[in-house]
Amino acid sequence: MLKTVLTIFIVICIAVLGGGASVWYMLNAKESVGAVTVGRWTAFPEIGTPDADPYAKARIAREGVLALGRAEGLTFTAQRDTAGDALRRECSYTIEGPVPPARFWTIYAADANDAIIESRKLRPSALHSYQLLRKPDNSVVITAGTNPSPGNWLALSGEGRMSLVLTFYDTPIASSTGVSDIELPAIINAGCNG
Amino acid sequence: MVRLLYAALVALVGAAIVHISVLLLLPHFSDRDAWARLAEAADYYKPVRIDAAAGEVPIVRSLDPLFYASACRFDLSDGPVRVHTPGNVPYWSVSIYNRGGQNVYAFTDRATDTGQLDVVVLSAAQMIETRKQLPEEFRNSILVEAPVGQGIVVVRSFVPDISWQPTATRFLRNLACSRS
Repeated sequence: MLKTVLTIFIVICIAVLGGGASVWYMLNAKESVGAVTVGRWTAFPEIGTPDADPYAKARIAREGVLALGRAEGLTFTAQRDTAGDALRRECSYTIEGPVPPARFWTIYAADANDAIIESRKLRPSALHSYQLLRKPDNSVVITAGTNPSPGNWLALSGEGRMSLVLTFYDTPIASSTGVSDIELPAIINAGCNG
Repeated sequence: MVRLLYAALVALVGAAIVHISVLLLLPHFSDRDAWARLAEAADYYKPVRIDAAAGEVPIVRSLDPLFYASACRFDLSDGPVRVHTPGNVPYWSVSIYNRGGQNVYAFTDRATDTGQLDVVVLSAAQMIETRKQLPEEFRNSILVEAPVGQGIVVVRSFVPDISWQPTATRFLRNLACSRS
């Protein structure tokens, strides 16, 4: 008798804890269903729309996000550099390569909690495409790091994991079906402090 | 042994049921979603800044640091809601969200001929009524039929550099979100 009650109790405990923990894990995972991956960049074109999957819906409800509409823009996030190593704030990265058509785009670095990394210098903590210096062939090279660098410098501060957030505004890639056909810049590690 | 396998199977099925129920119920019971956060900050029809520049902690997460944004909650059962502000900024966009924070309609300043922000959000029935005889004050407005009862309007304004901050701040400070 006691054995049966104990078994039922354990089964219920496993069900509730296992179910709860698996939802928690899925909602905290950065890669999830509905993601579009281009190189190391990941976007969720359907997040925040009524077409989103239940995981995306639960995530926006839990985090209080008001996602960009498709007509407004599309956000890509990178957690790793092109070589596959995690992005770190004490390292310098060279971001170069093709960008898809858009009215303009912005880039900034975010910490592990998705909060913006302040530059802590007399520099803006984000760059946008209207202000960038361009090479003769109209391409752009951005250097992200704590050490000042010539050209387009995305100033960082602190230490630890980070992600890069690249947002295209008023762009046809968000509304067309060709999100997976586009090309995005490579993120190349250019050395680390210490 | 069979008994143990049976118990493990029941636990697994139970965990799956709990997983699905928590997942589907979470959006309905979240007290941390955008609507709840805005309700804490301001009443209906009162625009409130949601970006980090206006206060210490942004009300809504994951906003571009180069953007200022304001949001106001509305209830279409009170009648159509008109959102307008004078002035020009390099780029603005308007998003309409439903009660659950899902984006149901969005457009940018390119949708207008003058670049002036003037939007009226209506339900399907109000749209028919308004179309019959267009009120004078809606003459230059963009009419948006939204499949929502209660919802949130968000206006985003691009701030390219520090020199644009006063203009963008004024643009959002003059934002009117009113029943009509």
